[in-house]
Amino acid sequence: MGLGEYLNQSKKIIQNPSINSCKIAILSNFTINGLGEVMQVLCNNQKIYAEVYTPDYNQYMQEIFNKSSRLYKFSPNIIFLLIDTEYMLGGDFYSFPYRLTNKERENNIEKKFQELKSLIISLEQNTSCKIVINNFLYPLYSSRGILENKQDYGIKKAIMDFNNQLEDLAKNDSQLFVFDINSFVMKEGYNSIMDSKMDYLADMKLSPSAIVSLAKEYLAYIFPLMSMTKKCIILDLDNTLWGGIIGEEGISNIKLSPEKEGKPFYDFQKRLLELSERGIILAINSRNNYNDAIEVIKNHPYMLLREDNFASIKINWDDKVKNIKEIANDLNIGIDSLVFIDDDKTNREFVKKMLPEVFVVELPESSCDYVKTLEALKIFNSFSITKEDLEKKEMYVSQKKRDELKAKVSDLNSFLNELKLEGEIISVNDFNISRTSQLTQKTNQFNLTTKRYSEGDINSFLKDENYLLKLIRVKDKFGDYGITGLAVFKKIDNSISELDNFLLSCRILGKNIEFVFLQKLIDELGKREIKKIKARFIPTSKNAPAANFLREAGFILEGKSGGEENYTLDIGKENKKNIFMEIKYADS
Amino acid sequence: MLTLKELVAKVLDIDKRIINNESSPENIPSWDSFNGLMIVSELETNFNVKFTLEEVVAVRNFKDIKEALERHGIKEGLND
Repeated sequence: MGLGEYLNQSKKIIQNPSINSCKIAILSNFTINGLGEVMQVLCNNQKIYAEVYTPDYNQYMQEIFNKSSRLYKFSPNIIFLLIDTEYMLGGDFYSFPYRLTNKERENNIEKKFQELKSLIISLEQNTSCKIVINNFLYPLYSSRGILENKQDYGIKKAIMDFNNQLEDLAKNDSQLFVFDINSFVMKEGYNSIMDSKMDYLADMKLSPSAIVSLAKEYLAYIFPLMSMTKKCIILDLDNTLWGGIIGEEGISNIKLSPEKEGKPFYDFQKRLLELSERGIILAINSRNNYNDAIEVIKNHPYMLLREDNFASIKINWDDKVKNIKEIANDLNIGIDSLVFIDDDKTNREFVKKMLPEVFVVELPESSCDYVKTLEALKIFNSFSITKEDLEKKEMYVSQKKRDELKAKVSDLNSFLNELKLEGEIISVNDFNISRTSQLTQKTNQFNLTTKRYSEGDINSFLKDENYLLKLIRVKDKFGDYGITGLAVFKKIDNSISELDNFLLSCRILGKNIEFVFLQKLIDELGKREIKKIKARFIPTSKNAPAANFLREAGFILEGKSGGEENYTLDIGKENKKNIFMEIKYADS
Repeated sequence: MLTLKELVAKVLDIDKRIINNESSPENIPSWDSFNGLMIVSELETNFNVKFTLEEVVAVRNFKDIKEALERHGIKEGLND
């Protein structure tokens, strides 16, 4: 679809109050018309209503430096900043770099980088939203021709250096992200992203087709911004993870090997394995005889994904939709965090129709394009990768062992006793702040208020002595669940504290940990002369598991307003639950 | 392939029946400078031509577009 069609579609978008909305600001020194409209359409396709603000032509700098500019009044959730290399470095330096000495070129790069840095600092002082900045395109032309890369600190090297400095700046800054325009151009081709006539006519540095492609790349930042990052890939087997049909061709004839026609499947598994190692959960949903298929998973010499790589395995003759629902249930995750990959179009259409929340991948006909299709998905991006993400696979293996134990013992109490749970209450610090923010972004089910906090928000709470933030880390004899719960209390007067947020990751639910965690914190508040706790339950479409928690913990319902329930608890009157765990403070 | 009128009407989001030889940025509010560029870009794709900078700058109204396309040897789709 071309830019023109996107522009026409964008006119038809109507704001729907029931879908998520986000505010996008696009700042650029060149004409970037259309980018906002394409993003609106792409967001709308993902059920996000996007409002876009683009300052007038080349007004971005004034907008950044002026604290009361329309940019800051717009209060964006994300800002995209696009500056072209020639403009950033100065025309004379860019066009006549070799009039200068090496040393002068170096100094110039240093000076220009400080200019860029002051723009970024100003943005960060005036807003806490995510900032995405394009890095700078290397020039394709040099007057030195074949000798360009033999120059000391030549123009290309200078720009690489500039980009490296920018990356270093962003590395430890959770607000700032660098979009690599050079990779983008490698993928799209310089001749197709640049239309010199459009540039000369209207200072359009990107061609209409490049604007569409760029908007698609930018979507990668919108998924995590809207807490819509996908968590689990559900995979078909025949002609998806291997070529051919196991039930007909048998283990020695299916196509799966590090060379020839089995290689596309082998490479596809490599990509999936790498995603699983960074925390994306894998599951199987296949219509097959269980024994035929599991034999391949266990014994095929080139199978890269083995039983332990799958958190849930459904190999049966049930319908695929039923299996997907069961997988979501097994893993305790929402249907809308699932991705479905199946080579069979009928299955895909069936899932799309019955479970529209599932992200269904349009797998191409040819297995040669499977890897490319997977690589093009923007839906697994997150703003940080935590220790918990990287250990997720081990966690699901421990979970399988827990399920086996649960099936053996007779009742919940003896199961909990057998697990030998241990909890550790810890403070928020530099090492776990990204996990803290991630918990507020990703926890949907056991979440009393579903308030989403950025690392910036959490930092400001830490500086405010009225706030008390604690995390809980849970282990049992099978393994470590990691940091899985957060409580945020805010003191509202000398003797009253408000439970601003309280959440637990779904993987530790059903063990009464929430009661123990809350009790410990109530004890702590009691020591700080707090007599009463106020709390709220804000219902969403997903947090039913937390609906009765406050009542069960001994809170009294004071009233309801607009769907929200307001509770209070006089300290000392809480319901104490049976405690099956050791709990201690890691620090105090 | 779209006819010239259909293409211009689509980009400017107007009814193609109101377009005539004298249609121009002066009398069609949605014909702003960006949509002008979009017309150029869509014409080049649709009719598989490349305009020079001078040709683009010289266009004042709908009739000028038609003549520019004729100069590029386009005969079909210009008059309906």
